Amino acid sequence: MRWHQAVPQLSHPWVSLQSKNAPHSQGEYDVYSTFQSHEPEFDYLKSLEIEEKINKIKWLPQQNAAHSLLSTNDKTIKLWKVTERDKRPEGYNLKDEEGKLKDLSTVTSLQVPVLKPMDLMVEVSPRRIFANGHTYHINSISVNSDCETYMSADDLRINLWHLAVTDRSFNIVDIKPANMEDLTEVITASEFHPHHCNLFVYSSSKGSLRLCDMRAAALCDKHSKLFEEPEDPSSRSFFSEIISSVSDVKFSHSGRYMLTRDYLTVKVWDLNMEARPIETYQVHDYLRSKLCSLYENDCIFDKFECAWNGSDSVIMTGAYNNFFRMFDRNSKRDVTLEASRESSKPRAVLKPRRVCVGSKRRRDDISVDSLDFTKKILHTAWHPAENIIAIAATNNLYIFQDKVNSDMH
Amino acid sequence: MEFKLEAHRIVSISLGKIYNSRVQRGGIKLHKNLLVSLVLRSARQVYLSDPCPGLYLEDGEEEMETGNVANLISIFGSSFSGLLRKSPGGGREEEEGEESGPEAAEPGQICCDKPVLRDINPWSTAIVAF
Repeated sequence: MRWHQAVPQLSHPWVSLQSKNAPHSQGEYDVYSTFQSHEPEFDYLKSLEIEEKINKIKWLPQQNAAHSLLSTNDKTIKLWKVTERDKRPEGYNLKDEEGKLKDLSTVTSLQVPVLKPMDLMVEVSPRRIFANGHTYHINSISVNSDCETYMSADDLRINLWHLAVTDRSFNIVDIKPANMEDLTEVITASEFHPHHCNLFVYSSSKGSLRLCDMRAAALCDKHSKLFEEPEDPSSRSFFSEIISSVSDVKFSHSGRYMLTRDYLTVKVWDLNMEARPIETYQVHDYLRSKLCSLYENDCIFDKFECAWNGSDSVIMTGAYNNFFRMFDRNSKRDVTLEASRESSKPRAVLKPRRVCVGSKRRRDDISVDSLDFTKKILHTAWHPAENIIAIAATNNLYIFQDKVNSDMH
Repeated sequence: MEFKLEAHRIVSISLGKIYNSRVQRGGIKLHKNLLVSLVLRSARQVYLSDPCPGLYLEDGEEEMETGNVANLISIFGSSFSGLLRKSPGGGREEEEGEESGPEAAEPGQICCDKPVLRDINPWSTAIVAF
């Protein structure tokens, strides 16, 4: 049966899928495995505690039955292998059912142990630990298309690692100034090109993107391309620098475009045009007049991620009040949806939400002042082939599916 | 005048953030502190360029400006262990530029309370906080 990849249209309703105890139900999800990746550590030399909080997770392309992923905290990256066990050998000659050695005089014939089915067991084991590569806090990791190397970026440096080698890494970008007093920008995110294993991009706190070619030099301090949009002088404020800092950068699946997220917008850049983005979408421009309060309560420092759908026609990012936004690049339509328990009963169709600014208010609109800034959706992911999305809202994970798709099952 | 008030408020908030970052778990975040120091610099420029009468004395501020922004950045740029040490006062190269304010303070304490803070030159406040 050939999957028909439906191009999502924002007029299609999105349906919530909820985990239940019926594993064979269509579109039901349940927790597969839980494990502790990192523990808090203490750097005695610097008298610093290293938080166990995970900053980024990246899956490796699957090469055998096992799944592998990289997870990183501020300082250490770990490679985890996830395997399933659903069979167990029975009928040993020398051991009995409990594993105790048999009395050899009772063994009168030999048998070949057979594999019998058992309840699914998921095993996760750490395969590599990539430590001591970073002085500053790691903000991103990206697996190369060669499936052999990956890079990790901190505020000032980017390192290239080989997945099989943990005791050394190559520094490929270093923007630390000789005199730290001259520091004006830091690296905020980085990603390898999906097809060209020599190309990668990194974003800065000033809102610029640098495309680098590893074939040009061992140390890629000199960019091949610099993508930067001149600042609009009319919108200058105390917080202009903060809101132009890029929190996430993602290549499109085609490799032709890049998506960036800064505090108020998502922008699509064409690799062939450095002067400005080809598309800019307002995520929550109504916050522009509230930047001072958002600075005070630290929300202005929130780092939102962004995502492409499989066909690169729709982009998605999170916002506050458990809202997330989708923008259709072709129709130029956008929608705001909410990930919350009330609106996400199983099979429920998500209702588009609206934030009203000013006096014109429809029923069910939320006013800007009643937005809950503690409910932020920083992490979202889109299935690479299907219209299924995962939304992380504080301590809940929501999975939604395009209704058109779910009707096909 | 309202620009001056807002700028002053932003300076105080920023200094509070820089101070709090010292006690945060996981160490000082370079990115966040760089952004805060940029806001601090913008607010201070607006404060000084506003022709309205100031809330406090402005003598000798121009020469303090670059030196102290540089001090803040160099503090963040250091390995930060000097800032997190329990014993107050200087001794490390990175903190050479500081004045003797911190020695008077209990470690982990802002030595001025809010009303006094409002009237003090913000750069003295920065030095006092560190």
